[in-house]
Amino acid sequence: MNAHTWRKFRVLMATQFAHMTVYRAEIVIWMLSGTLSLVMGLIWMQQAASAPGGEIGGYTARDFASYFIATWGTAQILVVWVAWELSFDVRQGTLSPKLLRPIDPFWMHYVGHWAERIVRLPLMFVLLVIFAVLTGAQYTTQLSHWLAYLLLVPLAFTLRFLLEYCIGLLAFWFEAAENFQELVWVLYAALGGLLAPLSLYPAAVQKVAAFTPFPYMLGLPCDLLTGKADLSDVLRGFFILLAWTVGFGLLRALMWRHGVRKYGAVGA
Amino acid sequence: MPVPTTDPDITVRAAQLRKAYTVTEKEPGFLGSLRAFVRPNTRTVEAVKGVSFELRGGEMVGFLGPNGAGKTTTLKMLSGLLHPTSGAATVQGHTPQKRGTAFLKQITLVMGQKQQLIWDLPAQDSFLVNQAIYEIPDAEYRATMREFDEVLDLSGILSKQVRKLSLGERMKCELAAALLHRPKVLFLDEPTIGLDVNMQERIREFVREYNARFNATVMLTSHYMADVTALCQRILVIDGGELVFDGDLSALTSGPDARKTVRLQLSRPETAARLSTFGELIRLDGLDVELAVPRGEVSARAAAMLTHLDVADLTVVDPPIEQVIGQLFRSDKKPEPVKALA
Ligand SMILES: Nc1ncnc2c1ncn2[C@@H]1O[C@H](COP(=O)(O)OP(=O)(O)OP(=O)(O)O)[C@@H](O)[C@H]1O
Ligand SMILES: [Mg+2]
Repeated sequence: MNAHTWRKFRVLMATQFAHMTVYRAEIVIWMLSGTLSLVMGLIWMQQAASAPGGEIGGYTARDFASYFIATWGTAQILVVWVAWELSFDVRQGTLSPKLLRPIDPFWMHYVGHWAERIVRLPLMFVLLVIFAVLTGAQYTTQLSHWLAYLLLVPLAFTLRFLLEYCIGLLAFWFEAAENFQELVWVLYAALGGLLAPLSLYPAAVQKVAAFTPFPYMLGLPCDLLTGKADLSDVLRGFFILLAWTVGFGLLRALMWRHGVRKYGAVGA
Repeated sequence: MPVPTTDPDITVRAAQLRKAYTVTEKEPGFLGSLRAFVRPNTRTVEAVKGVSFELRGGEMVGFLGPNGAGKTTTLKMLSGLLHPTSGAATVQGHTPQKRGTAFLKQITLVMGQKQQLIWDLPAQDSFLVNQAIYEIPDAEYRATMREFDEVLDLSGILSKQVRKLSLGERMKCELAAALLHRPKVLFLDEPTIGLDVNMQERIREFVREYNARFNATVMLTSHYMADVTALCQRILVIDGGELVFDGDLSALTSGPDARKTVRLQLSRPETAARLSTFGELIRLDGLDVELAVPRGEVSARAAAMLTHLDVADLTVVDPPIEQVIGQLFRSDKKPEPVKALA
């Protein structure tokens, strides 16, 4: 990384961080509203406790707690709103000032999301500890698994970011592109493992899911922390995510190049 | 005749530049939406219809025309935001819509309301972002800020949240942020819109100094006559997407046909017929009156009005640009042909 690039990164990060701290109250509210996996966790825990043998598909109540708390935390890191921002910019013409600068607006958004993560992290961590203590959730103590998690999740975030970026870019061609975003979110929630661990799904669904990137974005890193996946699973998942990331990276570049031609630069 | 494409002095060239927008029309209501979805009803709006001109390095040119004439559209094409439907633009030797880094570092586009400043943070932070993005060395950044501060008086407002700045203060910051990288070509789209007279003057002063200091090419649109008369010798007039005049401003404002507008606030109503004896009646709205009078006779006519009418207040102003231009075309002499581009 040369000096200029480093400086850009540093300044963008600092500025976006300052920007996000302005919205810290909103961020807390978003965090708390993203409780779907916690609710699902409670439901599954209840079911497991009353099931014969105290488990469902190999998951005890405590396993479910561990899994869903991990899902909640991981999903926090995978939060992306860039599709909304992009389609707004395209439709309202606020993309114009960004196009005039000698830097792809992509980087602003990407760094901005990471900066928001830093604002989100401290409270998220406190909540995670509280949830874990309350439910007796347990996680792996193997350092290598935690390191693998830290490798996998940023890649998963990048892929989700690129995917949402492409959806946002649809605004160059279509009026209401964000409706598409909801469909993708349902796939992400269902196949990613936000509603239930993927291993509890019918075999056919699991087979289909394996062809999508979603199980590796959310379910896999969580299984790793709860001890239900090992490093060889991670290695496989990592390369699958990497391939999808490269694919969506190329798609984004292509869509951007063609979309900007269609940009109407409305306003003023 | 020299071939213009080899003239090193030309910084901006538009050759038969044309932009047609595709507008989707939709009837109101759900059925309308449904119909539009099945068979979109599109229409083409030709905003700019083949415009050609050249600007020399260091030149300040006023780009005038009525609302909807195609000024902003032209500037957006020249700054690379819009891809021309046909024709070509060259700015500092670059094709704008490719938006290459070298091109973007040499130009700026300032649009009245469009802000590049981060709304929730002090303007200072946006400046630092621009410094990093444009790769401006620290020493140059400090020097530029010092110079800008002298003319724009930025002290005290740079550390305030942008959203808390007044319109004028924000415009000053916008302008400074847009020029931080010392662009060689400035496209200014109504930079003084909505500002008070003092602030307008200060912005003009700033643009003038910038132009002198960096020999920058400036293309400026404004609906305020004073902006254009203060800064530009040459004007381009666009109307209905077509360039209708390219020449000296003095020909328009101090020529034999030039006029001034006298605004009257009467204490007693007067008939239109009576008012018309003092000049061409432009507006009569109760006690508010506007009259156009020949420039050379302003004092005499104003004196006559004060003597013969019940005047509460009288001000003399430059007529709005539309009126000047309108007058140019109303007078029976044909508009000067656009300078041949060889
Ligand atoms: N994005 C767009 N889509 C469709 N039509 C547009 C778009 N932008 C501008 N137009 C139309 O193109 C014409 C020229 O607009 P433009 O903004 O260039 O005018 P202008 O000379 O800048 O006017 P003003 O003085 O009001 O700013 C207008 O008829 C306008 O309605
Ligand atoms: Mg305009």
